[in-house]
Amino acid sequence: MIGLDPASRALVAEVRDLGRRHMRPMGLEADRTGDPPPPDHELYLLCARRGGLVDRTLGPDPGDAEPGPTWRPLRALLVAEESAYWDRGVALSLPGPGLGGAALRNAATPDQRERFLAPFADHSRAHWGAMAMTEPGAGSDVARIRTRARRTGDGWVLSGQKMFCSNGARADWVVVWATVDPDLGRAGHRAFVVERGTPGFELLRIEHKMGSRGYETASFALDDVEVPAGHLLGGEAFYEARRGFKAAMATYNLTRPIHAAQGVGMGRAALDLALDLVRGDFPAQGRRRARALERLADMRRGLHVARLICLHAVWLARQGRDNALEASHAKSYAPPAVYRAVTAALDIFGEAGVRRDRMIEKLYRDVKILDIGEGTQQVQRLVVARRVLGLPRDE
Amino acid sequence: MTGADPAGFGLAEEVEDLRAAADRFAREVLAPAVRDHERAGRWPDEVAAVVDGFAGGGCLTRAVLLETLATGDASGLPAADRPGPASGAVDACPDRALAAAAAEACWLHVGDAQTVAWAPGWPARRWVWVSAGDRLALVEVAGGPEPVEALAFGASGGVGIDLGGSAPVGAWDLPPGGGLAVRGRARLWAAAVAVGVGQAAFDATVAYTTERIVFGRPVAHHQANAFDLAALATGLHGARLAVRDAAAGFDDGDPAAGFWATQAWREAVAVAVAVSEAGIQLLGGHGFLVDHLAEKRYREARMLGLLAGGADAALDDLAAAVLDVPDPLLGGVPA
Repeated sequence: MIGLDPASRALVAEVRDLGRRHMRPMGLEADRTGDPPPPDHELYLLCARRGGLVDRTLGPDPGDAEPGPTWRPLRALLVAEESAYWDRGVALSLPGPGLGGAALRNAATPDQRERFLAPFADHSRAHWGAMAMTEPGAGSDVARIRTRARRTGDGWVLSGQKMFCSNGARADWVVVWATVDPDLGRAGHRAFVVERGTPGFELLRIEHKMGSRGYETASFALDDVEVPAGHLLGGEAFYEARRGFKAAMATYNLTRPIHAAQGVGMGRAALDLALDLVRGDFPAQGRRRARALERLADMRRGLHVARLICLHAVWLARQGRDNALEASHAKSYAPPAVYRAVTAALDIFGEAGVRRDRMIEKLYRDVKILDIGEGTQQVQRLVVARRVLGLPRDE
Repeated sequence: MTGADPAGFGLAEEVEDLRAAADRFAREVLAPAVRDHERAGRWPDEVAAVVDGFAGGGCLTRAVLLETLATGDASGLPAADRPGPASGAVDACPDRALAAAAAEACWLHVGDAQTVAWAPGWPARRWVWVSAGDRLALVEVAGGPEPVEALAFGASGGVGIDLGGSAPVGAWDLPPGGGLAVRGRARLWAAAVAVGVGQAAFDATVAYTTERIVFGRPVAHHQANAFDLAALATGLHGARLAVRDAAAGFDDGDPAAGFWATQAWREAVAVAVAVSEAGIQLLGGHGFLVDHLAEKRYREARMLGLLAGGADAALDDLAAAVLDVPDPLLGGVPA
């Protein structure tokens, strides 16, 4: 039986309050205008002053007897689910180190961690981190990235192009994945911290999307960007034995269940809209109500199982155990379950569900990206098949 | 509940020890004799006694054991595990003396129907619990029930009985939600067995399809098959978590445990049916032969979805409760 400790309950209650007062209205506004909220928005400042919501998922749990993982995956999952309930786009735009933070936790040296996470201790304004992996020619197959990293006398020069970088245009720094030699495949991967304002690191555009419009999705050009040697994440020794690629994948093992949990939040939003409609507007008896109740039961089942799988994956991560398979289970199961929940809610609404002034219509547009970002459904099945069936990597 | 383990995923050491013992028994004793058990129409007394000896502990322990034993052979479980699906009825019956007397000899029938097609464990079980709404009854079956061969669970000695001619031994109105709790326990039993049957079907399918070569590579490594099997692995994982979560809900006294157990049963049966169907399909013609156990698991998985009133009774229960059951994780979070 699942349940929460008092501190986690308090955190969820805080996110719920922010969600109701800020995130939902901001998400609707961003959806209407097509523009994410500006970096100096009141909510971001509020989050920063409170020590950041995402930041507070960092650090050891109180009472930890021994130094353990410096990340509280359960808290991160709860923040993700509850904030996405109110608006996933705005949830993704909340200040914090983001995917780049997960990369830092996996690969950075202690000095790098201290240096690049230090800005997040400044509560006078909001700070963001980001990660850039995807390229125009390399999405699911991240081993095919072509952004080049060339060694110079005292540092590195990066050249290439990146896209689908969340919060990239407002981030203090972006963890950029590049290759020293495309022919080396995964063994050639390196990750660099590129700070905002570095010459040659140019924003190309903010993408226009069908949904989830509350956060920036940025594309960048890297035009001979010079970065110091100290910005190579983890240092040179880290990349022996293909640890670079493994670090990238380990990043996703941490974040995939969180991403999937956002879906559970969105599914809950659809469920609550449908529950309210059935409670208030449907006749007390009759076939339409009976059919809706059965749909609601199926929605709840899918969301419940999805949540359990997400919780299990972060429970493993919290213990420092390998969760690659379970993270892919979470990312594989949740998005389709959430999609089914949203479409079932639309069926319950009927024609009223198509109206743009109804939240359920927005959820249907917002939800699709869940099954694509951080590894598509098909990529997750490949990961599971490799682990369970011994499917060769090159198949 | 702690911040580190919000869903009790970590099993207690003693439960892990029991699970390991049940796993050894399933692999070394049950699995090698599956067809012998079916031919005999029952498990040998010493086998049934060992299974019965695994009794005890809470619902979670029970679910873990059932899931594990079912990977070896589920066909005798309905008869050997007592009170099995009727555990909830035994616990809920206000007449404790009668409940104690009926605990060793009963089966649970769900619904208002006057007949029940199959009851295992006869003739030891002449009493049958009947659950409909929040009404619980214990009836004594009159007449001479005829042995029948069922779709599956052939080692459980099923009979066909007619409840219409049966005499009520007792009938009680349970507190609101009490009926769903009784039926939820029965469904939890079937759900745990379904996870075990599904896991056995999956493991056997993987063993065969990673070895047999077609068109130059193992059957399982053709992407169409690999994707299907991966989705089934994910489904099994989710069903197992749902079953254990629902079982822990009963142990923790969650008033909505019957709802979540019914949800877990829907999930587990759906997955077990899908896995066992794939288990035949991916073996091709071999899967249709009794030389393999794929056909047995195909029958068992489907039959588990027909017990405790079947899918329609479960949907009725879920629909009746769905507007009122709070969110299990966030229900206690201040609004």
